[in-house]
Amino acid sequence: MTGAELVVKLLTEHGVHSVFGYPGGAIMPIYDALYQSPVKHYLCRHEQGGGFSAIGYARASGQTGVCLATSGPGATNLITALADALLDSIPVVAITGQVSQAVAGTDAFQEVDVLGMSLTCTKHSFYVSDVADLADTLREAFSLAQSGRPGPVLVDIPKDVQLAQVDYQPLHLTATSPATELSQFAEQIAAARALLQQAQKPMAYIGGGVHMADALPELNAFLTATGMPSVTTLKAMGSVEKSNPLYLGMLGMHGTQAANLAVQQTDLLLCLGARFDDRVTGNLKKFASEAKVIHIDIDPAEINKLRFADVAMLGDLKALLPAMTAAGNYADWQAHCGALKQQHGWRYDHPGERIYAPLLLKQLSERMPDNSVVSCDVGQHQMWVAQHMRFNSPRNHLSSGGLGTMGFGLPAAIGAKISRPQDTSVLVTGDGSFMMNVQELATIKRFRLPVKIIVIDNQRLGMVKQWQQLFFAGRYSETDLSDNPDFVSLAAAFAIPGHSISHKDEVESALDAMFSWPGPYLLHVRIDETDNVWPLVPPGAANQDMMTDLPQWEE
Amino acid sequence: MSNAAQSQQHTLTIHTRHEAVAIERLLQVTRYRGFTLAGLELKPLADLSGLLITLSVVSDKPVSLLVNQLNKLYDVLDLELHQAEAGALRA
Ligand SMILES: Cc1ncc(C[n+]2csc(CCOP(=O)(O)OP(=O)(O)O)c2C)c(N)n1
Ligand SMILES: [Mg+2]
Repeated sequence: MTGAELVVKLLTEHGVHSVFGYPGGAIMPIYDALYQSPVKHYLCRHEQGGGFSAIGYARASGQTGVCLATSGPGATNLITALADALLDSIPVVAITGQVSQAVAGTDAFQEVDVLGMSLTCTKHSFYVSDVADLADTLREAFSLAQSGRPGPVLVDIPKDVQLAQVDYQPLHLTATSPATELSQFAEQIAAARALLQQAQKPMAYIGGGVHMADALPELNAFLTATGMPSVTTLKAMGSVEKSNPLYLGMLGMHGTQAANLAVQQTDLLLCLGARFDDRVTGNLKKFASEAKVIHIDIDPAEINKLRFADVAMLGDLKALLPAMTAAGNYADWQAHCGALKQQHGWRYDHPGERIYAPLLLKQLSERMPDNSVVSCDVGQHQMWVAQHMRFNSPRNHLSSGGLGTMGFGLPAAIGAKISRPQDTSVLVTGDGSFMMNVQELATIKRFRLPVKIIVIDNQRLGMVKQWQQLFFAGRYSETDLSDNPDFVSLAAAFAIPGHSISHKDEVESALDAMFSWPGPYLLHVRIDETDNVWPLVPPGAANQDMMTDLPQWEE
Repeated sequence: MSNAAQSQQHTLTIHTRHEAVAIERLLQVTRYRGFTLAGLELKPLADLSGLLITLSVVSDKPVSLLVNQLNKLYDVLDLELHQAEAGALRA
């Protein structure tokens, strides 16, 4: 067979049934091999859309996402999605065609140094110069993407390698990664348990690493058995069971007041699969400054990177969490956290007739079918989704966390729908973000994907506008989008029906109409441009110093 | 990290795969993580099975931050940190 046929063979060998991409000269042999192959190719309308669809596919399912692009502009268009996958630790394999080796290094047509470009935005990248290495390289790419801390891996394949003849050797048993040996952690586990016993006010700070380690049952058993209050990062929303009364919500810049206040008061922070990101910590020196830290992660480079850990464990949370479980006696602290949660609950009694996005999102959360996957874009609407929707799994909340990439949402919702066809895929996007990958409406049209799109339209780049209002003296430089297109007509051009609403009392019936429609649907929601996201920890401040609705400082 | 903000020189011996891109990755990580290059020597192993690299860096950050990141590189097969050269303090 040819190298190109081998690529397709290797995809099926890895259980890959769906790939996302865009063809072009240097990857034509692979597209030829895909033609009438068992691997279903979804033509996206921009390689960035293909990359984000692969991410959505991966995040919603836990499988590795695969995307394809040609050399030169195809590969450069993928870069943003790879960076997004790197910062959020998402397993993706990107396959790029490259110019033939006979002309490599001559500034040939559509030649860019893709390997060079990939260095800073992939977990690893390969250039395949010999077809004899192709199978092993692809197998290694899939293994790397999934193992340890997952991430994107790129394989750049010159056209001559795709055309060369090669034999397929079936895969022999792969070595599975060694299980975490508990005995090797005996000392740290003992130290951690001692800290847990001494602590009066412990707090679990839960990151995306927990669900990626498939350790949610162990996490919830641990939280229940210890009675420890908990908070999550943006990526870990949905990790803690909805019934847990001591879960305080998301922490950080737009976290809940209860989460931020309690974390600032804790005397023992148990950091699980999280990385002390600046959006989480605010002023790092003042973050949970009284607390000792237990840090458990799979990535050695995260330990002591930003915050010293009194006890650190590099291993599998699935094995380690049960070993650390010891019932504590934290009654006063539990009562205090419960009171904070009571005192700082969300309010939805927004005055006036206009639609209040937080309330709409709460209604959406309550009315959408069970196990819906919600993708969102970046901005105020993204933070409102995190604050006002509840999820029963992180796989049901796809949000570009580390890179914060506008344009993530629509293609991610497409990938989610393809990986979980039985579940509803909902997109909550902003009027700014939606336009960044709006061409993917054509992908929805072509494959008749019943994605439910909600455009939260404040006619602004709202998040930037909010910062201009608060920190740049109301000088609204380039954040006015009041000349937005007519989004319902725009959807109609892609055969997607839609409806526009602007009054509170229209919301519930509009949501019901959207969900009862069998196909894709766009709900355009006009909101007031003056609505802002609260609370907000201003730059440089400690997390207890949140600004709330009327810009005033909280104690 | 709150270590004294004093620049120190550190020397690492690194065995990598025999590929130019291995050096690119080493240097990219070194620069990005905030370590100044103070020396670089490399030679292929006699059997061409890899490159032997001596990398010296200066930084006021704990060198473990760099070592942990370099150890994650796929191309890095082995890495050893030599004792910090006492007295090699720079502003
Ligand atoms: C690709 C990209 N460019 C710029 C930004 C900076 N940015 C962050 S939020 C935002 C505004 C987003 O506007 P919209 O999608 O309408 O959401 P809103 O904040 O109004 O809800 C911008 C420009 C970004 N995050 N990503
Ligand atoms: Mg907007």
